[in-house]
Amino acid sequence: MIITLEKKEFGEAVASVGKFAERKSATLPVLAGIAIVAGDDGIKLRATNLETGIDLKVKGTIKTQGVVALPATTLKEMTSSFSGSGEITLEHTGDTVIVSSSTGRSTLKTLSYDDFPTLPYPDAPTTRFTISGAVLRALIGTVGPCASPSMVRPELASVLLALESGVLKCVATDSFRLCEKKVSIPGNLPDFSLLIPAKNALDIVSTIPDEPIEMLIDEHQCAFSWKNGLLTTRLVTANYPDYKQIIPKAFVSEAVVLKKDLESAIRRTAIFADSFQKVRIGLDPAAKQVTLAARNSDVGESSEKIPASVTGESVELSFNHRYLQAPLSAITADSLTLSASGIGRPLVIKGSGDTSYLYLVMPMNQ
Amino acid sequence: MNKSDPHELWEYVLSQVELSISPANFNTWFRDSFIVKIEEGIIYVGLPSQFFKDWYLKKFHILLLKIVRGVSHDFRNIEYMIVKDDKRKQKVENRKPVQQTVEMPLNDFYINKTDNLNPRYTFETFVIGSFNELAYAAAQAAIKQPGLTYNPLFIYGDTGRGKTHLIQAIGNQFKKLYPNRKVFYLTAETFGQDYYNAVQGGTMNRFKDKYRQYDLLIMDDIQFFSKKDKTQEELFHLFNALHDNNKQIIFSSDRSPSNIPDIADRVRGRLSSGMTIDISEPDTESRMAIVRKKAANNGIILSDEVVEYIATSVAGSIRELEGVINSVVCHTQVKGVPPDIAEVRQSLRSFSRPTKTVSVKHVVSKVAEFYGIDEESIYEKTRRREVVRPRQVIMYLLREDFSVSYPTIGTKLGGRDHTTVIHSCEKVKREVATDAELSKEIQDIRTLLV
Repeated sequence: MIITLEKKEFGEAVASVGKFAERKSATLPVLAGIAIVAGDDGIKLRATNLETGIDLKVKGTIKTQGVVALPATTLKEMTSSFSGSGEITLEHTGDTVIVSSSTGRSTLKTLSYDDFPTLPYPDAPTTRFTISGAVLRALIGTVGPCASPSMVRPELASVLLALESGVLKCVATDSFRLCEKKVSIPGNLPDFSLLIPAKNALDIVSTIPDEPIEMLIDEHQCAFSWKNGLLTTRLVTANYPDYKQIIPKAFVSEAVVLKKDLESAIRRTAIFADSFQKVRIGLDPAAKQVTLAARNSDVGESSEKIPASVTGESVELSFNHRYLQAPLSAITADSLTLSASGIGRPLVIKGSGDTSYLYLVMPMNQ
Repeated sequence: MNKSDPHELWEYVLSQVELSISPANFNTWFRDSFIVKIEEGIIYVGLPSQFFKDWYLKKFHILLLKIVRGVSHDFRNIEYMIVKDDKRKQKVENRKPVQQTVEMPLNDFYINKTDNLNPRYTFETFVIGSFNELAYAAAQAAIKQPGLTYNPLFIYGDTGRGKTHLIQAIGNQFKKLYPNRKVFYLTAETFGQDYYNAVQGGTMNRFKDKYRQYDLLIMDDIQFFSKKDKTQEELFHLFNALHDNNKQIIFSSDRSPSNIPDIADRVRGRLSSGMTIDISEPDTESRMAIVRKKAANNGIILSDEVVEYIATSVAGSIRELEGVINSVVCHTQVKGVPPDIAEVRQSLRSFSRPTKTVSVKHVVSKVAEFYGIDEESIYEKTRRREVVRPRQVIMYLLREDFSVSYPTIGTKLGGRDHTTVIHSCEKVKREVATDAELSKEIQDIRTLLV
């Protein structure tokens, strides 16, 4: 195989594809590699960790066709050190690949391509639709971090993507907080629902371009396909909890505050949070303010007052401050609504006038 | 080696595969796979994802087939299936030691999409009392011989008596006993909706096939079929199809088949052709058992006093009882100890329906009636013993249950001073704590006043 590629473009492709190579060493060595396929339909880079897989086209010229697998980490280190523009040539001979540019020349050991797995592709998808990559990234990128990092309950370590009567919802929860983001999808699509492992989903949305993406879904696999590439991930086939029943329908107290006020108050109060990261938050309708307080026997204590319009009863709840900070970056509105449903019950955070985003957080024990 | 034992067979296969491929390959591809079942000479191998399935078919199929044929020629083929995540063994992970944030009760909200059953409803959590033991026995009989003993089984009773719990528990139990048979639970409303969609979308055949495939069909709240002629007709045909094939059908409703209005006679006849049982109002003992069990399910032991108080003072359905227990559970989780009777009484006040502005006259007449004395004598200035006691009880009730002010009570009960009222209330309150008979009397009067 002999191919010539543009340095910068090759570097970017390697960086994207490299994320999907296996990082653990205990498995098949070739999984830690990137396969370079030079065939009739151009040059493709391919990587998989058996959870997700990617196939990405790169521009370049093929002198001789062929396939080769190279270790992802070495390739990434090499390409990230490239500077300036220019072309490089990859030449495969025996069990090495010679990478040569106008200034230098390196020889890389190859991995055995024979063991490189094929990427599963939903041949008979039950659902297929097209969505803008930017929208998909906004959806999954917003809720994804709320999914559980533990694999004990696979459904909670996943992101739910569900279409219900024209509204695409994306939900994640780790059972301590829950995040939901909605967007309406034009066109008349049948309803569907799928669970993507959250880690894979975040890797995928950081890779897909803004252009329209076609999603092909079957029972076990979901593929994201666009002009220059294809990504595929396994799906989780567990049942997602009926989370809507958790969302309180009535609130005892509601406060509207400026986002920047709350953001800086939390940041200041969090310094004094104890080892459980506990921050007390109070909604006070009489004084028209939201109070934040924290106490750490080693550091000291602090309290903050934020002007707010508060309706309902006066209520005080404790939260992990990380869980309170998390939604702020996802809310674009200037002001936000905190809705409390009582002691020991969840607090709902929304951007004022924004119905597309909902964040629900459970309080801490008093 | 026992070749019909999937576990042993797979162990043997693995030991052979290990010899023919590299350790890295073996670790990557065979670590998470296992034999799901062996049926009619076909071995079903469970794999984690499509990646594995594709690769097995491409690389290992011939090798595996050769190995199992070596064991026995009875094995005709190997099929690969992707197993559900929740069925796969999970590595035991150490949970983070401290997480103070209250967890959402997500476990309560799982509904299985293929059969619509809520796994929370089982016989283990079902409280049996005199009010529902007949229904329970019929349910057990229906499970033992589905489709034969009582078909259809028709259970009715007022809202919140546990109909849904019972019929869903039947479904869950059925699933456990007969894993290969199909169960489906739905409400009459869903059925109607589905029918309507099928008519609109022209998918009538699919609709018919869908419901005819089940071995046990559970339909809740069928009183909603009243006046819906077309849906009734569809139910009629479905009923016949299932019944003729000895498939079990279970219905629930809030009234008996003969009392469901506007329903075709042929449907009505069929509904009551099997076994029709009602669930009546739970008695106090059953209510106490329910409170105790529900609390225990949440890991909370309540004192007898509290249990009794909740069981007797929360009038209405079991659903309302559950609501109160949930608030007690929440209280316990937040404070760390179960509430005592005073706290429960406090929190029940917010739970009970908005206190009716009850007329003093109404209370007086009920209490007088209870003690069998003349209503007028309460208002008089008499201090006869048989009148004084009821009068004090009236004052106590007006104050405790209806929060009427002391002076108002005094004026309404024949112009007495408010200090007299305070004294009476205090006295009764003291005595209630020690005198079981008095407390029972007041309990009884309270039920009269609801």
